[in-house]
Amino acid sequence: MLHLVAANIRQRPLRMLISVLGVALGVNLVMLFTGLASGMAKDLERRSSNVRAEILFTRPGSMQLTSSTASLDVRYVERLKAIDGVADATPVILYVTQGSAGFGFERLEGIEWKSFAAMNRMSITEGRAPSAANEVIVDATKQRNDNLQINQEIKLFGDKSYRVVGVYQPESGARIKMTLAAMQDALEAAGKSTYILVKARDGVTAEELAQRLEAELPGNKIQLTRDISTNFERSVPFLGTFLRVLVALSAIVSTLVIMLAMYTTITERTREIGTLKALGASRGFIIWTIEQEALLISVIGLVIGFITAFVAGAAIERFSGLIFEYSWRWALVAVAIGLFGGALGALYPATRAANLDAVEALAYE
Amino acid sequence: MKTILRAENLYKTYRVGSVDVHALRDVSLEVEEGEFVAIMGPSGCGKSTLLHLLGGLLQPTSGRITVDEEDLSAASDAARTDIRRRKIGFVFQRFNLFPTLTAEGNLRLAEQIQSKNNTDDATRRTEVLKLLRLEDKMKHKPMELSGGEQQRVAVARAIITNPALILADEPTGNLDSENSAIVLNMLQELNYRFNQTIVMITHNPEAAAMCRRIVYMRDGQITTPAVSVQISG
Repeated sequence: MLHLVAANIRQRPLRMLISVLGVALGVNLVMLFTGLASGMAKDLERRSSNVRAEILFTRPGSMQLTSSTASLDVRYVERLKAIDGVADATPVILYVTQGSAGFGFERLEGIEWKSFAAMNRMSITEGRAPSAANEVIVDATKQRNDNLQINQEIKLFGDKSYRVVGVYQPESGARIKMTLAAMQDALEAAGKSTYILVKARDGVTAEELAQRLEAELPGNKIQLTRDISTNFERSVPFLGTFLRVLVALSAIVSTLVIMLAMYTTITERTREIGTLKALGASRGFIIWTIEQEALLISVIGLVIGFITAFVAGAAIERFSGLIFEYSWRWALVAVAIGLFGGALGALYPATRAANLDAVEALAYE
Repeated sequence: MKTILRAENLYKTYRVGSVDVHALRDVSLEVEEGEFVAIMGPSGCGKSTLLHLLGGLLQPTSGRITVDEEDLSAASDAARTDIRRRKIGFVFQRFNLFPTLTAEGNLRLAEQIQSKNNTDDATRRTEVLKLLRLEDKMKHKPMELSGGEQQRVAVARAIITNPALILADEPTGNLDSENSAIVLNMLQELNYRFNQTIVMITHNPEAAAMCRRIVYMRDGQITTPAVSVQISG
């Protein structure tokens, strides 16, 4: 029976191509969006995990996914250091701006390099630490993605020129860092920071220290750094819903494309279906033949969809710095959508074909 | 001799709007194994309806049809399909070959429909195509064949499953006289050499003359008793 299915598919290459692309589009949507969401979340988690401080001390509402404010007085650093159990504290300004590729977000940090590096066990691998107001350092990923060289000029805060003076490791927080003073200067926020990283003394747990900070400095936001990635997901509250809607839309697109293609096919082949019936083909045989055709189209669409999704993801990653991480779970969802959508889309035309009156079908012009 | 086809008191009435159209009225017919029967009659006399009933494509309003001792008229649609699959081969006026398949592919499809266990007997296909002098056309698609060759492939498709009965609906209706003669000779050869039972609808008296028996129809009824025809040659 497969020879009939394959021959039928070859008969209308353009229609087959459109159907295949319809399925591939669904796979693309699922893989790219879920890959991007997962990639960005995991990247943030990875970078957050390199922050050795246990506590992030800030003002309520000062840090959002796409914006932040520098409203925390840096004098809190000394007050924090004075609290029992605090080993060190270092202020950071976080600034969120448009991505260098023209879309997405770019996060910049203003830090006091010495204390920040000591607290988070960071080092300069190339060049030196920033000192002047127009100097920045970047991590290796940023350097690679933007093909940055030491002493190269980059534009930040709109049109302001900054010079890359060093590359640091490991990746931690924002990929571009400058001195706290430079950031305060750029934002006209002298004496301010967005948050203060607090390192606990040995033997003091993060929870214990958080309780002490809360008791000593009430009214501030005290967040455990290990919860940052969780908070990222919370800060996009409808991300899960969005992905589910996207999956549903993909399933609908695949189903409709296959349904339309197979419906047209069945109408064209009415007399052939009549002939099949005259030859003694059962309803099951006819339905299965049409379903096989739809499933074959779906499988080709899945293969093309996965290939194009991976290629597109790699290209976007290369040119934008966005990160994609594909999961087996979502890949299986995409496969299920392709196959189930194909089978479901073909079911109505197939059933209609199987129910055709043989004599009328044989007389069809 | 074994009766392959028995139709008893067949009636077929179509409802067209509020009017009943009696396509067949009290038609009875018996065909013995190895017979080659022509059904003749003017257009609209009910020949095609009768053929569709005999092939289980339609159900009679009343009456009984048995094919190789299996009751078609009492069977469900699925059961009639199953009887058709095992017992009946069709040859159509417009050949009705699958245009995307080669001659051999068309035969293979019929085999696959007939055998539920996916029989793939290439030797048998070659034998049948050779019998119909189509061995050099096995890999040709219908569009690459002449009308006569297409109809021979259709005949090959009908006999590949060894049916008890072949029903041919104006098999030469779309052919020129030369190709008509070739197809009719082949049907006759199948009948003589392999004792194949064939019921053929035709307008063509010359085609009918090649059969062992001619049945005439008019106004939904068989008008003459079966007439035996002496086969020449």
